[in-house]
Amino acid sequence: MDPSFTLPDSTDWISTSLPAFEPLEAALRCEVCKEFYENPVITSCSHTFCSLCIRRCITSDGKCPTCRAANQADKLVPNNALREVVQRFQDARPKALELARIDTPSSTAVNDPGKKRKLDDTDIEEPENVRQTRSRQARSKTKPQYGFADAPIEVPDSEDEEEYIPDGMVKCPVCGKPMKEALVFSHLDTCTGSEEPAGARSTRSRNNTAFHKVQRPQRDPSPAPTRLPGLNYAMMNEKNLKKKFQELGIPTWGNKTLLIKRHTEWLHLWNSNCDASENRRKSKRDLLKELDTWERTQGGHAHVKESEFMKKDFDGFGHANTHKNQFDDLIRNARRKAKAPKAADEQNDAEGDSTTQAISSPIPPPPDALPSHGTQSSVDPLRPYEDNEAALASIRAEVETANRPQEQQLPYVNGEHGGTSEQAHLSEVGIRNPFGSPTRKLPMFEVPKSPVVDVEHSTNSC
Amino acid sequence: MATSSASKRLFKEYRGLSNDPPEGITAGPVTEDDMFLWEALIQGPEGTPFEGGVFPAELKFPKDYPLAPPTMKFLTEMWHPNVYPDGRVCISILHPPGDDPHQYEQASERWSPIQSTEKILISVMSMLAEPNDESPANVDAARMWRERRSDYEQIVRQNVRKSLGL
Ligand SMILES: [Zn+2]
Ligand SMILES: [Zn+2]
Ligand SMILES: [Zn+2]
Repeated sequence: MDPSFTLPDSTDWISTSLPAFEPLEAALRCEVCKEFYENPVITSCSHTFCSLCIRRCITSDGKCPTCRAANQADKLVPNNALREVVQRFQDARPKALELARIDTPSSTAVNDPGKKRKLDDTDIEEPENVRQTRSRQARSKTKPQYGFADAPIEVPDSEDEEEYIPDGMVKCPVCGKPMKEALVFSHLDTCTGSEEPAGARSTRSRNNTAFHKVQRPQRDPSPAPTRLPGLNYAMMNEKNLKKKFQELGIPTWGNKTLLIKRHTEWLHLWNSNCDASENRRKSKRDLLKELDTWERTQGGHAHVKESEFMKKDFDGFGHANTHKNQFDDLIRNARRKAKAPKAADEQNDAEGDSTTQAISSPIPPPPDALPSHGTQSSVDPLRPYEDNEAALASIRAEVETANRPQEQQLPYVNGEHGGTSEQAHLSEVGIRNPFGSPTRKLPMFEVPKSPVVDVEHSTNSC
Repeated sequence: MATSSASKRLFKEYRGLSNDPPEGITAGPVTEDDMFLWEALIQGPEGTPFEGGVFPAELKFPKDYPLAPPTMKFLTEMWHPNVYPDGRVCISILHPPGDDPHQYEQASERWSPIQSTEKILISVMSMLAEPNDESPANVDAARMWRERRSDYEQIVRQNVRKSLGL
């Protein structure tokens, strides 16, 4: 897995030596966006979501997504403790995952076999060793992302030099000088941090943790931005709205419907930012950038494609290099086997075999081994989805390449199943024909050039 | 480059499904360029006439996903009380709670942003095993399922064979 991959998932832990971290991490993620909680807030029904997520939900139907209780955006309360936990977990995650992926005990002694204990389940329960893990994290290459909390912490390798700090005393998180807790805040105003020569301090993780507690109020001196109230759109015409938008500093183009949508989203972005911790709060400029993203994906410019992001992340997700050969084999294998059913079609025998094989091999079918085309390549029947995601990605890439010259001139045609006229709009173009038969259709690996059905807001006809 | 929260979440779901796939279900975006159109393969549940079949379906996600649910449509012929003749799937998890065409549906069964594509696909799989004939999408299939079960099962088995290209 590419460590720079930007969309970590709780399932990353499943195949590591710490599978118990999967549910732990899942618990630190918002159920709406599946991301780590960002500015978590508690609803009046005691459920927790990202501030932005629940605000959007409340706008959408006024209900808690979990329990359906009615909720109001102005009753949401920040969940500061959870916010802290999530931030710390995210900081600790990369290194922890890296260690957890090193499976065997012999290879777990990574940096310093003489000194470091391996990270195993026992270590997790033992505070001393957890701290050691954190120390490593602190020394890892990860750059501080915000505030003091992530200021580089120098930790000596020796575990014996724990500095004694009397009760009521703490060390300055910046320069490390011990002082009375009550004096830290005033000291921080003038502290230059220059006293600290790199590596000279023996600030321990435990001390560091203590500082998190004391620095928080210090980081909160400026008043939080004020939440914006809603507007009574019914009472406002386009002109009034645009005037209001000018005051707010948000784009004023578009008709009234679009203006209302934009303003609603601006309220989501602005008000959820009010629930952020001081050191994570975004600038108005950042929020305007996010509004622009919304504009391009759901607002007035929603026709813009999102391909670049996806390409990049599929690459990160993917396996482009490591697994490529494996996938190619898989595809080749599948193609070969896919030719079998043709014989079955013609001779009308061997159907039992084909069926059995299809049952036991529910792998993602390569384009020319879709179910309607018969049997699929066999993989380990106990782990039918092994490399599935990669296989799909690789297959798609192949199909895309194979199709490019053709798809321009090919009209949409009816699929061989269903055959209703409504299906003509589906992406059932006979893109590539493994058997040389002009009637073969590949229903699943072609995308319409442009959206054929407006799914802006899904409408269910049933 | 603009990336909506919807496509981010869909990508996450795709990752989750790939890292930890539920048995008998495969799903993912059709191409890397478009997170809003997925293909899925669902295995026919064992012990049902759908057993042995692998049924391709298409999921279309709205731009405001997960606030609103996707639509799902089978791409092979399906004979089932809760599948329209054109393949569209009609089950409660695909219905937003606000829009309640069928009074019998519990709000808790319907779509909510905390539901997921995986839950939809699992629901559809169990729908294959246990049709809900209270408000059928395919009235004829529902009647046959109620009154002439063996005929129903025979059609289903034929469709299974067709879906396998036999
Ligand atoms: Zn969220
Ligand atoms: Zn709730
Ligand atoms: Zn200082």
